[in-house]
Amino acid sequence: MQPLLKLSSVSRSFGAIHALRGVDFEIGPGEVMGLVGENGAGKSTLVKVISGFDDGYTGEFLLDGNPIRFSNPGKAEQAGIAIAQQELSLIPTMSVAENIFLAGHNVPTFATKRDLARKARKYLDEVGLGDIYPATGVDRLSVGERHLVEVARLIAHDPRVLILDEPTAALGESDSIRILEMVARLAERGKSIIYVSHRMDEIFKITDRITVLRDGESQEPKKASELDVNSLVELMLGRELKNMFPERPAVIERPKPLVGVKDLWPDGLLEPVSFDIYPGEILGLAGQLGSGSGEILAAIGGAQRTRDGKLAYQGREFLPANPQEAIANGIGYCSEDRKHDGLFLGRPIRENLTSPALGAVSSFGWMSRLAERTMARGIATKYTIDVSRLGAEAGVLSGGNQQKVALGKWLSIEPKIILVNEPTRGVDVGARAEIYRKLRDLADDGAAIVVASTDIQEISNLPDRVITFYRGMQIGEIGLNDMTAAAILKQITDPFDETNL
Amino acid sequence: MNTTANVYASASPASLFNRIIQNHSPIVIVLVALFLAVFLYGMVTAPNFLTLFNLKTIVRDAALVGIMAIGLTFVTLSGNFFLLSMKETAALSIIAFATAMSAGYGFELSFLFTMLIALAAGVLQGALIGLGGNPIVVTLGAAGLFFGVASWWSENLVVSFRRPHGAEWLGSGSLFGLPNITIAFILISITAEIVLRYSTFGRQVYLIGANRAAGKATGHENFSMAIKTCAIASICSAFVAIAFSAQVSSAHVNYFSSEFGSSGDMTILVIATVMVGGNSIMGGFGSTLRSSLGAVFISTVDNMMVLHGFNSGPRVLAVGLMIVFSIIVFALVRRGSRAQE
Repeated sequence: MQPLLKLSSVSRSFGAIHALRGVDFEIGPGEVMGLVGENGAGKSTLVKVISGFDDGYTGEFLLDGNPIRFSNPGKAEQAGIAIAQQELSLIPTMSVAENIFLAGHNVPTFATKRDLARKARKYLDEVGLGDIYPATGVDRLSVGERHLVEVARLIAHDPRVLILDEPTAALGESDSIRILEMVARLAERGKSIIYVSHRMDEIFKITDRITVLRDGESQEPKKASELDVNSLVELMLGRELKNMFPERPAVIERPKPLVGVKDLWPDGLLEPVSFDIYPGEILGLAGQLGSGSGEILAAIGGAQRTRDGKLAYQGREFLPANPQEAIANGIGYCSEDRKHDGLFLGRPIRENLTSPALGAVSSFGWMSRLAERTMARGIATKYTIDVSRLGAEAGVLSGGNQQKVALGKWLSIEPKIILVNEPTRGVDVGARAEIYRKLRDLADDGAAIVVASTDIQEISNLPDRVITFYRGMQIGEIGLNDMTAAAILKQITDPFDETNL
Repeated sequence: MNTTANVYASASPASLFNRIIQNHSPIVIVLVALFLAVFLYGMVTAPNFLTLFNLKTIVRDAALVGIMAIGLTFVTLSGNFFLLSMKETAALSIIAFATAMSAGYGFELSFLFTMLIALAAGVLQGALIGLGGNPIVVTLGAAGLFFGVASWWSENLVVSFRRPHGAEWLGSGSLFGLPNITIAFILISITAEIVLRYSTFGRQVYLIGANRAAGKATGHENFSMAIKTCAIASICSAFVAIAFSAQVSSAHVNYFSSEFGSSGDMTILVIATVMVGGNSIMGGFGSTLRSSLGAVFISTVDNMMVLHGFNSGPRVLAVGLMIVFSIIVFALVRRGSRAQE
């Protein structure tokens, strides 16, 4: 059978980074093809190539056996390739029907709301939203329902290939099931679906074949029925990167916890969590997007609304009400988005580095130029940031160096606890190793480091101890001796044996 | 911007010229050159422009707007946009001051009384903005409130107090040949710049203005910042109101609306001054010195046009053009910088 869509030896580089290296990919008519791989393996780049968002690639792209190249997403859509992205493109203030007929060749020139609603009905039925009235405002739907509306909008253009990019990443259980049902129904009607997901259970439930990407290279597609979770994980991870991660001490003395997290219940979690953090260790919080691990860090750092909970810390029981209070108690928190709240991009690097500790570099309300320079230079030297560039804006630095500044600024408060969400997001491989090294150094100096990450390689090789989370619940704890990627992956994707294998 | 500024400081005139050519786009150079040509032409041909007396007049005219602009600059730099209630705060203050003076409380008490009212006005607006209120909505509302209270209080009449009075030194006094209000303007300019550059408060203004979320994450809350900066802006408004009242020995709520400056509306003129100086509307970049110079600059152009015999229509137009011009030029100059991201 001729594949509907076939890519051969597709490569794509961004400067020195090779996002795709000779990737082969194909999908047949009516097939559900799973596309899996770690963060940074090249999934989104491949999806962008297929859907016409990126035409800077080399290699062959065949549609129905004919070579084709999309210069923009509109061309791909005309050719029958539609993509539902993680970030929805719906307009919340408009109705469901209006959103479905927002753009494209099938938009009626004049239509009453009733006409639109009648026309939208068909597509809503198709995605399993038969119970939604088409005139409902999109802002009144759940996140899962919005994803379904997005797909309905795409189906209205009658695509042949539908790409779903982690459609359930931000969804709860019941909404996820609706998405899976929809995929099955659409496949039955002959649509080809490329299903990108991190969730093992889903991948096995609904895909026919699975293509694995690893470090920008593709593996031969395998039938889903011939794989199990363990063999798939092995395909995804390949060999371990030995030199990337600093050596972990065999034994960490844990006489007394530095912090006891007691019944902490941040918004976004299903139930309160409790655990201890010890000085000198790197504790990993493992979980996928939506698991709540990041929210826990933010709550300890005073940056998140929290329903309940206390920290037993330095002989007191309290919870920082805001970052200011957390900083006063030696707690530094790096969110996952350094550009949003980790850096002052338009200000000099020097000012970034001293920003949490203005009190330490001033006296009676006046900045001490000398003290500030000394502190900034000290941190920069430790974190291998170019000392001669401290006067330059932080925004001119590369992603890796920005992350070093975002992290390094916490040295200024001589922290006891450092909380880092996604320590290496958007950071190239070289700087990654450096950042891991710095975190380990901080732990060796006696600070407690807590890292939350969705990167399975990172979370299984960096920490001394891992606590796992799944959809807002605390699942278990894994010590150094049992810490394998497979063990962690099992707990964060399928802790309750829901996969029917 | 910082780096380019450093480069300029260390360059000789010839290489400075080369660097300007290299570092800036042709549009910027053409625009600035064009402007300089018009400016120089106007300067040379205007009768009596280059006299010491006229130069003093220019700075004196710039003083009142300049002092208010310096206050507002703190708000803008901290990322809290603008106070649209600058002239209404001044109106309330001038009524308060003149009423107290005419009741015979003397300069010191009247000054204190007025400042306390302005402080309360600033803190009220700052707290609402700091709690998350939109600065435009909050300060428009406050503007109505202050103006209403001031009109009601003064029954829309001119409140006057008799000479001689204790405020004359501020209104019409001078020292070493410079009017006291000019001296006040210069001192406030210097003080504000020093505070912004060298105090921790100044640093916080820049940090919060550059990225409010990162400011919060590093322990610098916008709540107290909004209160402090709005209080500074209000107090500057009140100071200007007092100085103006001291000069004319009277007060009316409309002094800052219809009978003031070339553009007729003090708030707009003050905002224009902040922007002509090239301060970032989004905050985090700029200085009070820029606003001071902006005030002198606007006053210079205005003065030149008066000497050329233009009436108020073209002069208002010129202020408008200057704002547009400076926004374009500063935006082009800063395009390479990441400060606005």
